[in-house]
Amino acid sequence: MTQSKTPEERRPAAPRRARSNGERDFRALLDAAVDAIIVIDGGGVIEEFSLAAQRVFGYSADEIIGRNVRELMPEPYQSEHDGYLERYARTHKPRIIGIGREVVARRKDGSLFPAELAVGQVADEEPMRFVGFIRDITKRKEAEEQLKRSESELRLAQELANLGNYVVHMHADEPDYFSPQLYRILGVPVDGERVSRDDYFAHWVHAADKDRVVEAFSRMDASGAPLDVEYQVSLRDGRTRYIHHIAQAVQDANGRVAKHVGTMHDVTDRRHAEDEARQLQDRLTHFSRLSTMGEMAAGLAHEINQPLSAIATYAQASQRFLKQPEPDIDEVVAALEQINAQALRAGEVIRRLRQFVKNREVKREAVDCGRLLDDLRTLAETDARLHNIRLRIDAEEPLPTVYADPIQLQQVVLNLVRNAIDAMVDAPQDRREVLLMTRRCGEGEIEITVADHGSGLAPEATEHLFNPFFTTKSGGTGLGLAISKSIVRAHGGRLWHTPNVESGACFHFTLPVSPARKGSDE
Amino acid sequence: MKEMKPTVFVVDDDAAVRDSLRMLLKSVGLPVEVFESGQEFLDADRDDRPGCLVLDIRMPGMSGLELQVKLNERHSILPIIFITGHGDVPMAVEAMQAGAVDFIQKPFRDQDLLDRINQALDKDAGSRRMLAERNMIRKRLESLTPREREVLDLVVAGKANKVIAGDLNLSQRTVEIHRARVMEKMEAHSLAHLVRMVLEVERPEE
Repeated sequence: MTQSKTPEERRPAAPRRARSNGERDFRALLDAAVDAIIVIDGGGVIEEFSLAAQRVFGYSADEIIGRNVRELMPEPYQSEHDGYLERYARTHKPRIIGIGREVVARRKDGSLFPAELAVGQVADEEPMRFVGFIRDITKRKEAEEQLKRSESELRLAQELANLGNYVVHMHADEPDYFSPQLYRILGVPVDGERVSRDDYFAHWVHAADKDRVVEAFSRMDASGAPLDVEYQVSLRDGRTRYIHHIAQAVQDANGRVAKHVGTMHDVTDRRHAEDEARQLQDRLTHFSRLSTMGEMAAGLAHEINQPLSAIATYAQASQRFLKQPEPDIDEVVAALEQINAQALRAGEVIRRLRQFVKNREVKREAVDCGRLLDDLRTLAETDARLHNIRLRIDAEEPLPTVYADPIQLQQVVLNLVRNAIDAMVDAPQDRREVLLMTRRCGEGEIEITVADHGSGLAPEATEHLFNPFFTTKSGGTGLGLAISKSIVRAHGGRLWHTPNVESGACFHFTLPVSPARKGSDE
Repeated sequence: MKEMKPTVFVVDDDAAVRDSLRMLLKSVGLPVEVFESGQEFLDADRDDRPGCLVLDIRMPGMSGLELQVKLNERHSILPIIFITGHGDVPMAVEAMQAGAVDFIQKPFRDQDLLDRINQALDKDAGSRRMLAERNMIRKRLESLTPREREVLDLVVAGKANKVIAGDLNLSQRTVEIHRARVMEKMEAHSLAHLVRMVLEVERPEE
C-alpha cells in the first residue's frame, strides 16, 4: 500500500515506482473487478482508480489519481463531500460506510449516471483510507422505470378498456391478485374485500346465466379448456352489466389445477350498441319485406283469386251435373277433390304470405333448400306471371341443407326476382324469362343465381347499387339490395353481380352448406 | 268449309282454372277443348273453327293480349271472351278495342260466363253465315260473262234497259236477254234482292 502523498509529488512518481509482489496482486485484483473500485485518502484524494472505474467514468488513471473524489460527483454532493469526510473523522459515525446507497455520479464528459455505491474503511490504518465500489445501474434503473411505466400504462389501459384481470390460487398460500379495474367493474371498493368464487356465482352472476357459467368453470377445471363465456352480472346497486369472461386454468407439476388466470371485460356498452343496431336492422329488414310485399300485392291477389275462381267453377259445374236426369257422379267426385285441393292451395298461399311478412325474431335453423325453393316458387312465380314473365327454376339435385333464417333467405331471393322482373318490363316477349338457378360450388358452398334479360346495369348505377336508399325505380325504397347484402353477409355468404350473356344482369349469392348434412351427403 | 259443331276453346295457364272450365262447359253439353298456352292453341290450328275462345288475359310467356294480336294477324274471326283478374280493367279495355267480344272478372258466376259464351257462339254463327253467304254471292258473280257483268253494274246503278242499251251500244232486246241471264245466275228473286247481294260483297272493301 502506498502512503498518502500530495498530488504534486505522487502523480509523476506512481507509474515509475517499483512494485512489490503484494502490490501487483492487489492491482490485478483491482483491475479484474467488474465494479469500479476507487481508493481515496482521508482528505478525499484519489489514490487508486481501477480499470472498470476508468471505463465507467471516462478518466484514465494518470489523469484522475491525485485529484479529489468530489470531482466524480454532481452538485450538491460535490460541495458537501469534504464535510462528510471531516464529520466521519470527528465522530466515526458512518452515514454510508458499510451501508451502500444509490447515488448519482458524474463522468469526465459531465454526464451523470445512477450508481450504486458501497464504501469501506481500510482497517487499522492511519491516516484513514477508504475503498469505494461503484456500479453503473443505468440499465437497471431504465428497466425499473420501464416496469413502473408499463404498470401504470396497463392500469390505464384496463380502465379505458373496462377490462380487469385476476389470478386466483387454488391451494397454495400465494396471494391472489385482482386488478383495480376488476373491482370497479364489479362495483366493489378497490381492495375493499375479497370476492370468493362461490360469492361471485351466488351474488353477482345473473340467475339466468348462472348454470351456464358454473358449467363453464367446471369444464375448465376438468379438461383444462380455456373458459370463454359472456353473461350478465347484477351489481349491488341494482345495475346490470354484460361481462365477457376469459380464463385459463394453470396446472402444477402434479397436473392439479394450481391457479386461474383470467380477464373480465365489461362489454355492456358494446352489447347495448349491438342490440340497438340489431333491432334497427330487424326493423329495416321487416320494413323492406313489407315493401316488397306491397309491390307484389297485385300478384298475390291474383294468386289467391285463381284457386277461388277454380273452386267456384267446380262447385257450379257440380251443381249442374247433379241436376241432370242421370248425374255423372264421377265428374262430381273429381270436382269435389279439386275443390278441396284448391282450398288448400289458397290457404298455403296465405300461410306463406303471413309467414313472410310476420315481424318475428331472426332464427337460424337447418333449412332444406328444396323446401325453401318450394315456398319461394309460389311467391316468386305469382309476381312473374303478373308481368307475363316466365320463372324458370334450375336446381341442381340433391339440394343441400343450409343453416339459415329461411324467411330472410326468401326475402333475398324474392327481392332479386322482383328486381329482375322490374328490369324486364319492356323486354320483348321471347326474352321475358327470369332464371333462378342453384349450384353446389367448391368449399362447401351453394351458389344461387337470379338472371334476367333486361337492359342490364348502367355503369354509374353499379357503383351505388348496394348503398341504402339508392334506387333506379320510381317508388323504390333503395333498401332491397342493401338489406339483401347484409342478410347474405350475416349468413357467411357473399352477394355480387355480373352481366348476363347477351343482355341483362345476374345476381349471385353464396351460402355455406350446413356441415352436418354435408357429411351425410357424401 | 264443312259444317262443324261449335266448340268452346279455353286457354289458361292455371291447371285448376282450366280444368274447372272444362267441367263446367261439359256439364252444359258444350264441346270444349283446353290449352295451357297461347302457343299451344296457335299450334293446334283451331282458329278457323266455329266456336269461341275463352282466354286468360294474364299468362307467363305469351299473354292473352299477345295471342289476340296473333289471331288478328291470321284474320281469325273467332270471338274472344277474356277472363281477367282484379285491377285488369285497362287491359280489358285494350282487349275490347282490339275486337274482343267481352270480358269477365274472376271469380265469376257460371251463368254469367255461359251467357257470354252463348252470345259469342251466336255471333260466331252469324259471322260464319254471313261469310258463307258472301262467298256464295262472289262465286255467282264470278260465273257472269264480262258483258253480263257490265249489264249488272248498270242495273245496280239504277239505269233503265233503254239507257243501258244506249250506253253499251246494244239493242234493247239484247240487254233484256243479258239481264234475264244475270237474274238467273245470281239466283235473284227480285231486282231488290239482286242489288242487296251485290252491295253485300262490294260495300266493305276487302
